[in-house]
Amino acid sequence: MTQFLIRRLFWAVFLFFVATIITYLIFWVIPADPAALAAGKAASPADILRVRHFLHLDRPIWEQYYYFVQNLVVHRSLGMSFVNRESVDSIIGKDAPVTASLVFGGAVFWLSLSIPVGILSALRPRSILDRITMTFVLIGISAHPVWIGLILSFLFGYKLHLTPIAGYCNFIPGSPGAQCEGPVQWAYHMILPWITFMILFAALYVRLVRANVMETMSEDYVRTARAKGASERRVMVHHVLRNSMLPVVTILGMDLGLALGGAIFTETIFNLPGLGREVISAYNADDLPVITGVVVFSTICVIIFNLIVDVTYGFLDPRIRPS
Amino acid sequence: MRRKQLLSMFMLVLGVSLLVAAMTVGAASSATQKAGKTGAAKGGTLKLNESSEDFDYVDPQIAYRTDDWSMLNVTAMPLVGFPEKSGVAGTQLYPIGATSFPTVSKDGKTYTFKIRPGMKFSDGSPVTAAAYQRAIERVLSPKMGSPVGVNIHLQDEIVGGAAFLSGKSAHISGVSAKGQVLTVHLTSPNATFVTQMGMQWFTATKPNTPYSSQGLNTFPSAGPYYISSRDPGRSTVLKRNPYYKGSRPANPDEIVFTPNVDPDQSLLQVKAGQADLDIVGNVPTSSADLAKTYGVNKGRFWVGASSCVEYMSMNTSRPPFNNLALRKAANWAIDRPAQVRLLGAFGGQRTDQLLVPGIPGYKPYNVYALKGADVAKAKQVGGSAIASAATINFVHTTSAVSTNRAQIAEYNLKQAGFHVTDVPTPATTFYQVVGAKDTTYNFTSNGGWCADYFDPYDYLNVLFDGRTIQANNNVFYTYFNNATWNSQIDKAALLSGAARASAYAKLDQELMVKYAPVVPYVVVTEHFLTAARVHNWIYSTYFGDPYYNALTVG
Repeated sequence: MTQFLIRRLFWAVFLFFVATIITYLIFWVIPADPAALAAGKAASPADILRVRHFLHLDRPIWEQYYYFVQNLVVHRSLGMSFVNRESVDSIIGKDAPVTASLVFGGAVFWLSLSIPVGILSALRPRSILDRITMTFVLIGISAHPVWIGLILSFLFGYKLHLTPIAGYCNFIPGSPGAQCEGPVQWAYHMILPWITFMILFAALYVRLVRANVMETMSEDYVRTARAKGASERRVMVHHVLRNSMLPVVTILGMDLGLALGGAIFTETIFNLPGLGREVISAYNADDLPVITGVVVFSTICVIIFNLIVDVTYGFLDPRIRPS
Repeated sequence: MRRKQLLSMFMLVLGVSLLVAAMTVGAASSATQKAGKTGAAKGGTLKLNESSEDFDYVDPQIAYRTDDWSMLNVTAMPLVGFPEKSGVAGTQLYPIGATSFPTVSKDGKTYTFKIRPGMKFSDGSPVTAAAYQRAIERVLSPKMGSPVGVNIHLQDEIVGGAAFLSGKSAHISGVSAKGQVLTVHLTSPNATFVTQMGMQWFTATKPNTPYSSQGLNTFPSAGPYYISSRDPGRSTVLKRNPYYKGSRPANPDEIVFTPNVDPDQSLLQVKAGQADLDIVGNVPTSSADLAKTYGVNKGRFWVGASSCVEYMSMNTSRPPFNNLALRKAANWAIDRPAQVRLLGAFGGQRTDQLLVPGIPGYKPYNVYALKGADVAKAKQVGGSAIASAATINFVHTTSAVSTNRAQIAEYNLKQAGFHVTDVPTPATTFYQVVGAKDTTYNFTSNGGWCADYFDPYDYLNVLFDGRTIQANNNVFYTYFNNATWNSQIDKAALLSGAARASAYAKLDQELMVKYAPVVPYVVVTEHFLTAARVHNWIYSTYFGDPYYNALTVG
């Protein structure tokens, strides 16, 4: 197990370097000049040079990358934003909980919906429930989150006045300047984003659960359990569900890791100050440090969640436990 | 297994609780909203959205983007400024932090301001001349890395500015403060200096305010409001300055800015009363409907001219547009109404001049075709030179609006007989392409200018003084350099009052009649929807925004 973990950690570090180097290279290839943008209109070449030096953009790319890694490892700093010179650590630190609250809240919703519906659908294939479910799946997969978000806001926020149209409130009270805060306001403002965010995943997971349950139900060991006289409940819970949930756990881990890198559409539509919205603003302003910071963060999330999945997989299924 | 069931139950209960809580709060919130009163009142919280954007900085000596300006204006106590009045009255400078306009030495190089006594910052400390000295020094300090001072070439205007900017001196030798007297020595006479001092960059700044390359988020202010909190990307909150005793309005108790809102969602929020105003304006495609529903400037939907003029530039340094007749032909060929229509309803007022309404020296005139393309006239003016002209490299950015604009203009030019090559260029490289002195572009439909300071100098001198052409990063892409013109703008810059306005009005017309280096086509208008509870709308042409401190809610 220790060897397995060491090997995974080695790959995690390797993946981290590959991801950040690619980000740097892409930014270097784009023919934009952040120094000219920061210097403003009518700045003379001397002014731009001064700003370029100020932002360390006058160094070769390998040197910039070296400073970035040195800052990260030695000073645990992701640098400063080109646009407003705010610490990227602080930006990520503020945005990540917002994205996390969207992703984990959404995950609770989509799992609560997709697991029971998927199972029921698998137990009664081609029934009315199954057909309705498959229609929902089709809509969920086809409809874009921006469209869903706008429609939900218009209906529940604007027409029915049941929810806010957009906006975010901190879960923990005490932020300076916050206009609303606390768990209840937080949930009130997150209800539509959660629904918007979960629809695609719920649709995908319903299909996944349905297919897995149907496949597992036809396995020999299920037939054997029934032949031995096990109750239907015992067969379902102990033999079918336990085995059919393994792929769900794997996909869930990967999806959560990826989504933590930023749920761009949902965050933009509902004005959630998370990583997705941040990275869009940074992209529009050629703000490399912020883009790199988000890439680093999401890479770490993907690595960690994959690691968790790998480890828990072994515990869930003794057959594939690493020796 | 029991633990798993318990966990499932807990998650279910949590989900249901959140749903119930959300619905309960929703009902309560909407009930409160419906109970809101109408009518102007002092107090309350003004809730402003800033769609798709955020202030880059709120530190007045670094904040550069124009959206920052109207926000900082309500916290600012500049030496001079614009009154919170609509129309032309709102474009007349008056002394705010100074007791009067400065006295100017006979050689025009020394300005002496007397600072109004009794003014206080929001922390109760007094405002003295040192506060204005600090503002100028923070604008130019190498420790700040600010773009704002160098963009108006302040380091060259003030004695000792360049040495200070390069870190060779601890203070600017040409700026001195003694009690309530501020003295500024200029390197040469400059009639725009007072107008420049009206910019929020030069607001009273507490003398011990530190230099900070990251900018400060909160700091004491001497204007009607101060920034009480700032969380970049989330909110900026202004509160009334308890020590402000001046005559400027300070109606809401609190002004809250929420940035980066989706424009469509922002419009819904304002309609529903969940926000009071989007300071970026409403989505252009919604303007026609809003006008039909609420009327124009009748209480909720507001339209006002800005200081921004948009124009197409011709590269006068190389063929074919080094030929005046062809530049005039292009001015006749371009369909201005079609270009304005691209901005949507109430997008702007078509024009063929550079100066905008409200600015000193603005005098409406009409030289070219305002009602549509006049192809026959274009052909007549261009004559045989059109057919023999080199193919035009028509450069434009690749956004949808920009591409549409270019397609129409290219069609117009082709109708007049020009040969045109379309050169779409990504926005990331566009300014490097057209801003380089040795550029090969001939015509671009991307161009425009908004006033840094409300003076004709900022248009006609800044944009058309060929002696300021540099190797890269030029802001005017015409590369127009004419000795007679340069001499005329120099003379006009030294004038003041009515003589100055008259001289610039003449120059504005002469630019298009004699030289025609650009095709101006629209003075952009701003359009806003306000929530039903918002009153006392006073719009500033200079900022292109309402005065937030004057708005009332409730």
